[in-house]
Amino acid sequence: MNDDQVVSVRGLVKAYGNRRVVDGLDLDVAAGEIVGLIGANGAGKTTTVECIQGLRRPDAGRLRVFGLDPLADAGRLRGLVGSQLQSSGLPDRLRVAEAVQLFSGRDGQDLLEQFGLAERRRAPFASLSGGERQRLFLVLAVVNRPRLVILDELTQGLDPAARRGVWAAIDELRGAGTTVLLVTHELDEAEELCDRVVAMRAGRVLDSGTPAELVDRYGRSATITFTMPGGLLPEALAGLPNVDSVRVQAGKATVTGHRAAIAEVGALLVQAGPVPADLSVRVPRLEDALVDLLEAAAGAGDGEPRARRPEQELMGATR
Amino acid sequence: MSTTVGRLVRTELKLMVREPMTLVFVFAFPVVTMLIIGGAFGTTPNAAFDGVNPSHWYVASYLTVVIAATGLIMVPVHLASYRERGVLRRFAAAGFPRWSFALAEAVTGLVAIAVGSAVLLAVAAPVYGLPPVHHLAQVAAGFILGSVAFVAIGVVLGTMLPSARSAQAVGLLLFFPSFLLGAGGPPPHVMGSALRAVAGYLPLTRVTDAVRGPWLGTGMATASLMIVAALAVAAALLAARRSALRAAR
Repeated sequence: MNDDQVVSVRGLVKAYGNRRVVDGLDLDVAAGEIVGLIGANGAGKTTTVECIQGLRRPDAGRLRVFGLDPLADAGRLRGLVGSQLQSSGLPDRLRVAEAVQLFSGRDGQDLLEQFGLAERRRAPFASLSGGERQRLFLVLAVVNRPRLVILDELTQGLDPAARRGVWAAIDELRGAGTTVLLVTHELDEAEELCDRVVAMRAGRVLDSGTPAELVDRYGRSATITFTMPGGLLPEALAGLPNVDSVRVQAGKATVTGHRAAIAEVGALLVQAGPVPADLSVRVPRLEDALVDLLEAAAGAGDGEPRARRPEQELMGATR
Repeated sequence: MSTTVGRLVRTELKLMVREPMTLVFVFAFPVVTMLIIGGAFGTTPNAAFDGVNPSHWYVASYLTVVIAATGLIMVPVHLASYRERGVLRRFAAAGFPRWSFALAEAVTGLVAIAVGSAVLLAVAAPVYGLPPVHHLAQVAAGFILGSVAFVAIGVVLGTMLPSARSAQAVGLLLFFPSFLLGAGGPPPHVMGSALRAVAGYLPLTRVTDAVRGPWLGTGMATASLMIVAALAVAAALLAARRSALRAAR
């Protein structure tokens, strides 16, 4: 295995009852990368990261985190991995500063300030807002300076401002060289934060690449709209190398094509005289590119609803 | 203590005293009911009370009410609420040692019993007086083994019940019959044979026998002590297994 390989998963299989939630999954995360694991609900993302964290026992497959087995070497991996878990809370009456102390043995004042929680040091967990809770979970995930941080649906249920705050915090992790594995079903989040995105469906990897690569591969074309200038003919637009279609309706043109068409149409418009005041361009984002793919996949699969994960059975309550 | 285990124990102790359910049932309920019942039958030695002062009989009995409140209400409600919120998952993911939580629960439960008992005796002393202890070693053995057994039963209950609310309901349902038949209710001699038979099967009755008999000098209750010891070992093993932080299947 490569030295800078942080996570390596080969042929991971995990079933709940006879439902295979993860089905032969391969995944690699290199040191310093921010990798987004994306997919619709039920794609198997959370189960995958639970196996990587040693919280679930895989049915088959080989997992290595820093070259170690998450189950057998749990003790040695402690301290190397920090995590934020989905649907996992803290005791209601535990205060912010006490939580940091419990999980790290230090007061973590610097982190509380960095994440805007210094004022809330003495607040009990139950009194925190959704955004404050998520920021606290983030503090707990990074307080022991782990080399790998696993974040599962970190910004779920947050308002846009709180989301931005959490995103900024993750960006700071990138600056510090921390490897981040981010689980999300929100594609704008993946596009904003991730160096590389791994798209999952029905427990398998569908495709992976940088957000730009995936947009290029799956994105519908760019769309350019403007009021047709007098001297410009639709045929001239249609003749441009990267333009796919031209439609003119009531003097308004809608041109679609590869991104490069934006520049070609722009050049033509400049030649034709004053640039139309209503010129607008819509470029596909990751969301546009992948939403159909991921959703269709989730629905299609074999028509099964989202896998029910036996939440209550996890930890301390198993037979 | 700055090991993870030490920090967890300290945190759990802090959270314990912030929990109203604990304060009410472990620290207040036994004291209040002891003051009422302990004064109801006077202080003249009475055959129904094995020939001892009824107030003293109840002071000795109520020590085990603290044990029952801790094991049947405090511990299961606390643990079930942790499971309900996924707190244990977070502990496990943060790499807390496998047995750290089991140990923290044991310490917290035993400390709650110790403090609750001290409060009870401190209130009883000036009001009814503390009866002299006839066989200290035997009383201590019954009290400690009974405490271990009930804290462990509480942990097992907490890992079986799906939510804090259900733990509260089941806990109260187990607590009150145990309290009335096995410790703080009417003396066995005035119960009908059916009730007495039921009481005989309650673990709390055995703990109370093992503490009260040697304390008041009305009998060594060695058989009860053996039963309590066996229960303590079995429940503790099961509790440790069920509260270990480990990967799910």
